[in-house]
Amino acid sequence: MNCSRVRRWIPLYAGADLSARKARRLEKHLDGCTDCGRETEELRAALDGLRAGAGRETLDWPEAEWKGLMARVKSEKPRPRPVSPLSAIPRKAWAYGFAILLVLGVATLILRSLLSPPTASLLSEIVTATPAQPSRSLKTVEALPVSDPRDVPFRVRRSRLEPLDRALLAAGPVSEKTTQNLMSMTLVSQETGLKVHWTFNRNFEWKEKKP
Amino acid sequence: MDEKETRLVELVLGGQTNAFEPLVTPYRRLLLTLAYRLCRNVEEAKEISQETMLRAFRYLGSFDRKRSFKNWLLQIEMNVWRSLGARTADEGTLRELAAQNTTEDPGERLMGNEVREKLLACLDGLSPREREVFLLRDIEGRSIKETAGVLRTSEISVRVHLSRARAKIRELVKERFPGLMEGRR
Repeated sequence: MNCSRVRRWIPLYAGADLSARKARRLEKHLDGCTDCGRETEELRAALDGLRAGAGRETLDWPEAEWKGLMARVKSEKPRPRPVSPLSAIPRKAWAYGFAILLVLGVATLILRSLLSPPTASLLSEIVTATPAQPSRSLKTVEALPVSDPRDVPFRVRRSRLEPLDRALLAAGPVSEKTTQNLMSMTLVSQETGLKVHWTFNRNFEWKEKKP
Repeated sequence: MDEKETRLVELVLGGQTNAFEPLVTPYRRLLLTLAYRLCRNVEEAKEISQETMLRAFRYLGSFDRKRSFKNWLLQIEMNVWRSLGARTADEGTLRELAAQNTTEDPGERLMGNEVREKLLACLDGLSPREREVFLLRDIEGRSIKETAGVLRTSEISVRVHLSRARAKIRELVKERFPGLMEGRR
């Protein structure tokens, strides 16, 4: 061991505060190094001298001032002992409890990530985009105007509209001369299997169907 | 905490406030001297020591009787010293106060000039945390663990500051008071 490393240990060694393992290594070094040995002795001498001097001479209260202080103290009121059910639980118990909760939380997260399927939750699928006959109930002139864009598609009130005919949606392709008035779209959740079927007319009024 | 102290604590908490004086009297010198060595000013030391006694009396109900009463008092004093130190004076002001009080400092009369000079001159070269650690461990003889408990810090932190403090003390003593090392050579 070199001196520069050992010198960091000398202050603690001189006051008997170095761990036994390090102390043995230091002592081995001190056997062959006079400089480090002298430094250790100097520090021990300084500490012993200061301790001895400090132990002999202390500062004390003048008796009258001490009595006055005690009288002032006694005029105070001791605060009542804090009574809390939580304070009865030792700090170690809190620490262990917190550690257990942390471990359980991490384990849950790991298990969840291992067991859950790694796919997107929704698959958007356009089922049909075929031209269809205009709806009997949703004539262009009679259709309600689309009100607030915020209401589309979730808040449009369709109570006055007749339900769209499912058979109409299932109707086969029509002649090329007809224009497309309806469009349908189905959203399928892969997780739950839930299907939501939307049908729109050309005024963008829509009908939702759930199985 | 010994049986006598336990009994006195119970008496004080039971309403017999007269029992507080015999409870703290064994530590009155210790607390005042330590405060003086920390702040280097007798009046401020008295203020710190007095506040320590007041807080000890007020919060005696929350004292854990499994702990050492002496260490509890030391812990209160360190807290008071830190709060007062932050409020009243920085390092420069403390040195200034100490210098102003050099001629008529009652501490000089009470503590003795020689030790006061040597010890306080050494303490002057330490940072506040190094001073606290050095005084508790090397002058008051608290263990590393007790010192950490009093200062509410880790044992590693105490070792680090203690190591630095001792290295500085050696340099200061060697430079200013080489006679202190003569006996060991």
